[in-house]
Amino acid sequence: MNHLMILAEEAGAATVVNEFEQTLLRILVVIIMFGLGAGLTPKDFGLALRRPWGLVIGWATQFLIMPLVTYLLIISVLLPFSTVEGILFVALGALIMGSVPAGTTSNLFTYFSKGNVALSVTMTVNSTLWAFIMTPAALFIYSNLLGLDESLSVPFSELALVIVGLIIPVGLGMILRRYSANVGAVIELIGSIVGLLFIPFLIIIWVPRNWQLLLTTEWPTYVIAIGMGVVGITVAYLIAKAIRLHPMNARTISLETGINNGPLAIAVVVAVYADNAGLDQILLVPALYSLFIVLISTAVTLVFRRANVAAEQKIPSLL
Amino acid sequence: MTERPWMEQYPADVPKEIVDLGYSNLPDLLQDSVDKYAKQTAFTQVMPNGMNGSLTYAQVDKHSDSFAKYLREQLKLKPGDRVAVQMPNNLSYPIVAFGIFKAGLVLVNTNPLYTPSEMIHQFRDSGARALVIIDMFADRLPEVLGKTNIETVVTVKISEFFPSVVAGVIRLVQKVWSRTLPKITVQHTPFQQALDMGSKTTADVPSYYKDVNLETTAALQYTGGTTGVSKGAMLTHGNLVANTMQMIAMNGKFIRPGVEVVLTALPLYHIFAFTVNLLGFYHVGARNILVPSPRPPGNMKRAFENYKITWLSGVNTLFNALLNERWFIERPPKHMVASAAGGMSLHDSVAIKWKEVTGTPIVEGFGLTETSPVLSFNPLGGKSKLGSIGIPVPSTDIRCVDEDGEPVAAGEPGELVAKGPQIMKGYWQRDDETANSIRDGWFHTGDIAEMDEDGYFKIVDRKKDMILVSGFNVYPNEVEELISSMPGVTEVGVIGFPDEKSGEKVHAFVVSSLREPSKDEIIAYCREHLAGYKVPSKITIVDELPKSPIGKILRRELRDGAIASDSNTQSKGA
Repeated sequence: MNHLMILAEEAGAATVVNEFEQTLLRILVVIIMFGLGAGLTPKDFGLALRRPWGLVIGWATQFLIMPLVTYLLIISVLLPFSTVEGILFVALGALIMGSVPAGTTSNLFTYFSKGNVALSVTMTVNSTLWAFIMTPAALFIYSNLLGLDESLSVPFSELALVIVGLIIPVGLGMILRRYSANVGAVIELIGSIVGLLFIPFLIIIWVPRNWQLLLTTEWPTYVIAIGMGVVGITVAYLIAKAIRLHPMNARTISLETGINNGPLAIAVVVAVYADNAGLDQILLVPALYSLFIVLISTAVTLVFRRANVAAEQKIPSLL
Repeated sequence: MTERPWMEQYPADVPKEIVDLGYSNLPDLLQDSVDKYAKQTAFTQVMPNGMNGSLTYAQVDKHSDSFAKYLREQLKLKPGDRVAVQMPNNLSYPIVAFGIFKAGLVLVNTNPLYTPSEMIHQFRDSGARALVIIDMFADRLPEVLGKTNIETVVTVKISEFFPSVVAGVIRLVQKVWSRTLPKITVQHTPFQQALDMGSKTTADVPSYYKDVNLETTAALQYTGGTTGVSKGAMLTHGNLVANTMQMIAMNGKFIRPGVEVVLTALPLYHIFAFTVNLLGFYHVGARNILVPSPRPPGNMKRAFENYKITWLSGVNTLFNALLNERWFIERPPKHMVASAAGGMSLHDSVAIKWKEVTGTPIVEGFGLTETSPVLSFNPLGGKSKLGSIGIPVPSTDIRCVDEDGEPVAAGEPGELVAKGPQIMKGYWQRDDETANSIRDGWFHTGDIAEMDEDGYFKIVDRKKDMILVSGFNVYPNEVEELISSMPGVTEVGVIGFPDEKSGEKVHAFVVSSLREPSKDEIIAYCREHLAGYKVPSKITIVDELPKSPIGKILRRELRDGAIASDSNTQSKGA
């Protein structure tokens, strides 16, 4: 049930990607995670666990800041300026999107941003486990504040799938690297090339089919779908910098916070609200967010990479 | 006090004298390692992403035989002919260098970053007949070759001897992504083809070097020396064998035969890594981890992660760079025994922090290209003194002398002069310069040093860099070290500039990334810690300092540039 993408061929009709694309996406994600794993050693994880500050901060930005950011965007932009009927369904979808943990996309962008991939993967696993409690809790609090009486449970199978899909390829990659640094380096290279292709691939399968959706969506919804990522990444980065985390970890936490698991949010919505009349509207923000977060993260990654190069030690030629 | 107080300082397992080298030339020395360690890994080249290739001692031996045969039979080079080698650290390097020695030819190490005019000078001066060059830099050849005696060009790939799939990936990345493979327009022979030709030739390799003895020149090692014009130090087989044995002997039981894994991040074309890593650690059956380029320092991360490094040779810049890398401080190598520093003075702060982070010492040594290079080292098994270049290695005599060549008292500064089996035969085709630097068998280093009561030496400064302020000697190192200890300061270069009243005055060039401290703060700090005449009269904040290939600050270039950039300089009354 891990739906990776929704399509609305006609406004109001949500469908999922076809079987072939879904399989392909899954394979790509596994290859990417395999490649990321091949760049890591057990020591990398040991370090993230031994000094869990990054994890704690990441947990807080993920489950406290991100839902709050979403809520504030809802009450300041979406509700006052929207003219659409049933806007609360849209708001509910946004809240779900803001309350789910990060997914593998954040790991990939952390890799490209020269962040701390081990921390990123650890944070994803950690927050996905916590999601069992924290996602319903955040949703309960903020939906109540909106006057909605929503309670939802996140299907445990969805979370387990995320974790298994993460740990197995990463673990295998690490084992292969240990066995042969050459095999590891080649897999890492392949993973990063696939990762590079993955971004345009997502956009190509998303945009044409949801063209109508893009045309009919009103601006307050855009603001929230785009704003969640932008504000989430920015705020988390500022917090991480303020407590003087290493730039590498600050980049990691900010991406990990701002990039939430779109497919997971969609899966949760479909599982819980399948029979709800407002399903399409609930799915609206998760669907838009899933597209825009890829674009936003690409831009942020370019900025982070430049900062990384600038901060790199310039030593004289020893060559 | 005895004339050689250091004799008392040698640890029990270090001989005071190496009476018999035990080898008649370099091929003889190399053969000994192959006999003992044939199946062990001799070299592993590690790329920044962890891709790697390896050669065993037996493979190095076989391929270098082939290359020797190629040079002698295919190229018809004659004993004593020069072969220039211009490449970064890679698996082909030892094969080429050892092949040249086995062929009875002379190795001319050349910096791959040389400009065409520097290449022309070195190739012409040495009269090299063949050139082995990394393909990445071969685009400079069209304007160079015509002005030299080079008849044959052999091109080497960075991925030579890697597993074929990995080599293919590296090649593809070089072509498509990094675009570091220029089109080579001159006639050239790929290295593998040269080896093939050599291996198919039947010839008796030992016959090439049967007449090579300890007096035979093995390498022309170019150096700016004291006059600035690059000239070739003639290092003999005897010089290099002796210095290898001296370096190994000095470290006693701390270099364990057949066990060590040494990280070679310094370039092998430089005499330090050449003797210490390539010859020394090969001799003891170590595994040499070759890093083609340690810039940026992150390039060394995978080498440290994937191999149990036990020894590291480096310069102050390299140690300092590693200590500024997060990955290095968080996960320092666990299997280190010690590190050797040379090439430039090791800052106390770096040595202390290194010990804190890795739990292992850096022993500082001293030497010059002309001395193969090691003259002195702190004995790892004995007393190691911070800020000192240690005591003379076995069979080496060092003195500090005055202008008349008379030894000065302990604690007094004088020019460091040295005698020993590692002192070069002379400068290639420059008899005047040879006569000027080697007098009565003593090689004059041009460095000002002091010896303490225990026989430990300390470099005060370069003779030519000494600044004379109103008749007082100012040693730039002292001022540099003080300013570089200020937070925010990355690097400092200090020179003298002419002044009507005092003869010379002190000018400091400071690199500080954050523009802090200010010039006033620097001057105030100097006033607090230095005698008045040593305090800089001028401070110039610069983005970077001119450096030599191994990261030494080039004060000569600062002096040349100081006049040109004078308008940018803010003058301060001292």
